[in-house]
Amino acid sequence: MWGFIQVLVPLLAGLLGSLWVGSRFRRIERSMLLGAVLGGLAGGLGSLIFMVPLDFCTFEPERKAIDVAFGVGLVLVGMAIPLWPLLAWTQKEQERRLGLQRATPRERGIFKQWWLAWLLLLPTFTILVVFLYYPGLDTFRLSTLLTFVGAPRSRFVCVDNFTGLLTDATYLRSLGITFAISAAIVVLGLSGSLLIATLAYQPIRGAAIYRVLLIWPYAISPAVAGIIFFIMFNPLGGVANHLLGLVGIPRLNWLSDPNLAPWVVIFASVWKQMGYNILFYLAGLQNLPKDLLEAAAIDGAGAMRRFFAITLPLLSPITFFLVITNMTYAFFDIFGTIDLLTAGGPSGSTSVLIYEIYKIGVSSGNLGRAAAQSIVLFFIVVGLTILQFRTTERNVTYGG
Amino acid sequence: MRLHFSMNTRRTFLAVAAGLVAASAAAFLAADSFAQSPAEVKVWIAFTDNRLDWARGKAEEFNKQFPQYKVTVEGYGNYEEIQQATDLAIQQKAAPSVVQWFEVGTQRARDFGYFKSIADALGNRTEVNGIPVNFDDFIEPVVSYYTLDGKFTSMPWNSSSPILYSNTAILKKAGIEKPPATWQELEAACQKIMALPDAPQGCVTWPNHGWFYEQWMAQQNALLANNDNGRAARATQVFLDSEPSIAIATWWKGMHDKGYYIYSGKQRDWAATEQAIQTGTVAMAITSSADAANITNAAKQNNIELVTTRMPYNADKGWTGNLIGGASLWLVKDLPKEVEEGALTFMLWLNNTENAAEWHQVTGYLPIRKSSVALLESKGWFKENPNFFTASDQINNSKVTPATRGALLGAFPEIRNVVTQTMEDLMVKGGDPAQAMAKANEEANRLLAEYNSLYQ
Repeated sequence: MWGFIQVLVPLLAGLLGSLWVGSRFRRIERSMLLGAVLGGLAGGLGSLIFMVPLDFCTFEPERKAIDVAFGVGLVLVGMAIPLWPLLAWTQKEQERRLGLQRATPRERGIFKQWWLAWLLLLPTFTILVVFLYYPGLDTFRLSTLLTFVGAPRSRFVCVDNFTGLLTDATYLRSLGITFAISAAIVVLGLSGSLLIATLAYQPIRGAAIYRVLLIWPYAISPAVAGIIFFIMFNPLGGVANHLLGLVGIPRLNWLSDPNLAPWVVIFASVWKQMGYNILFYLAGLQNLPKDLLEAAAIDGAGAMRRFFAITLPLLSPITFFLVITNMTYAFFDIFGTIDLLTAGGPSGSTSVLIYEIYKIGVSSGNLGRAAAQSIVLFFIVVGLTILQFRTTERNVTYGG
Repeated sequence: MRLHFSMNTRRTFLAVAAGLVAASAAAFLAADSFAQSPAEVKVWIAFTDNRLDWARGKAEEFNKQFPQYKVTVEGYGNYEEIQQATDLAIQQKAAPSVVQWFEVGTQRARDFGYFKSIADALGNRTEVNGIPVNFDDFIEPVVSYYTLDGKFTSMPWNSSSPILYSNTAILKKAGIEKPPATWQELEAACQKIMALPDAPQGCVTWPNHGWFYEQWMAQQNALLANNDNGRAARATQVFLDSEPSIAIATWWKGMHDKGYYIYSGKQRDWAATEQAIQTGTVAMAITSSADAANITNAAKQNNIELVTTRMPYNADKGWTGNLIGGASLWLVKDLPKEVEEGALTFMLWLNNTENAAEWHQVTGYLPIRKSSVALLESKGWFKENPNFFTASDQINNSKVTPATRGALLGAFPEIRNVVTQTMEDLMVKGGDPAQAMAKANEEANRLLAEYNSLYQ
């Protein structure tokens, strides 16, 4: 049914798009009319990407202000999807016209028979579609439903699963915990790994053996890491309390104290991932240009100075890569460790977002809510990665 | 060479394909002719341990006695898993005939519409294939739990009740003559035990699981939900903020704060409770009677003697009764006639006097027939194994009221999670029990309304 709002939204969106792209087209001395038409189509159709499947439910009269705001957000995101490439193209055109663009005509390797390329891609593509894209898209459908695992009936609830998260104290707390634990894992993990890698890189007897031993923990599954730390930090028989006892510190309830348990999770996760980080840092250290370090040494720079002024900046591409992989690890892969170590407890203090999704979706069986949470988590990670690419890339030196 | 090779493979491929087609056609024909006899009855249960072996053994015995049926038993990891598997199987039209479904899922089973009530399947027959129906022989709390809208809906099978396990040596040392019967006695006993020079690490423990909370509600004759616990009509309100509920939270938290109750730090941690009582880490534990056999034997190996008594109750409110826990067997609807008959026959046979008694002896689950209790008594079983008598005694003396019949809630598993989370927060982080329960009630009512909105 096409009511007032169903016409108004794409019309406004189209108008915005046509004005924007039209003005851009004029600036690059192309037909403004063409730009306006293209922009109008892109904006108008883009606004419908989310609104048509949702049937404009966020703008129904009985909806709350938060739903309307969420709907406006969805319209904007939908508009951005086709408008972005269009605007990016005009930007590039302008830079080209002004002679700003670094023209690097690259040779592209292409298959002579187009179908052969597709044929070779087909097996991978099939797997991706069946096991990744289809379930991924279905998550969006589920996120608009009130539906339970195993239950035959479900009901369309518009964006309630998303807006409900904003007032869900458990969820908001879990969000904070996730950022804190992830930040700690990335910072501690990377600085610790770099320190150990630097030590292991020193020309000492049996260096190769040390290096191999350092990389070993990576071969252990997160679940096994969870069990190892569970035993080590067991309040009664664990080695952690035994060591503390030797220096006269009384027993700590590592796993049932909400202030201590997150640290055990962080230690376990950092330890588990360290081998991987050390491997990359070792490779990076081996590839450092020796002449720079030598020159600095001749100029009288001390070991610390050389490390911070030369080694660290030169390793920045690896650090950048590791920050992203470690962050993804901290967001998604520590599930197994947490499940076996604390099961999200005590009192939710280690229930990170990915564990919260499991609790809601599997233990409580609320699929719709869990789907909404996983979409939010997905966008958080995508957003953080984009942010990192934008801010960090400038400070990264890719050799040269 | 290459051409030759590919010709060869193609020929081989064709031959294999032709062979496969022929073989499968033959298989289909064969299957068709077998389908006449015996009727296949697929039974799904949520056990993978010795209980599955027992059920499989019984199925074999049944198949010999009733050659017109072929019962096969398949095991699943837990109650949630079996629920999901059933849902999928029904959507894919590969449904089993009988499914074991946990007690708190009763309202769901009813709403999902997958099942046919036992009463409907029986009609007004008093026997099936020579096996008498005789529902009056089942003990009352069990029958009443699974009677919905006045109809006998699912076949009870594994029912249990929580009981107190006490370490006799520690109690004796503390000068406690008989295990505590009430909360107040338990607290006093703990005070004595923890004052011992060689006191155990904790006095008492039980899993932080909604079941224990529900038991204490029932004992106080307090409803968990409106409309007679959801039995007169669909429940729309829960009463987690009621006075008896707050009393439970206050006492439990108090026991923890005084260092008497040991919390493992994990919810639904049955294993920690079993471990603690078996190894003498705690003096007493409350857990399911279904583990009576395992716990008593494991403790014996550690030279620990355990005695079981009824679950302690709130002396301020008196004891009305305990409710059952466990699961029952549900008959899937729209089965072919002879399969349904087979399923019905098997369920009745599995619960006949001898089998129900044997099931109790193997596991510790309640003997759910009066005749089974009598049989066990006549054999002197309870005299030799007094620990096995407690749960039966507790359930058989329970007064059946709406509170002790147990609540029917669509969102029961989720509401249980709310209760366990609230208790964990109270113990780990502290807080006011009345406030915490009020908040829990709000959350539980929201979950209930959410579920009900799908099935009204």
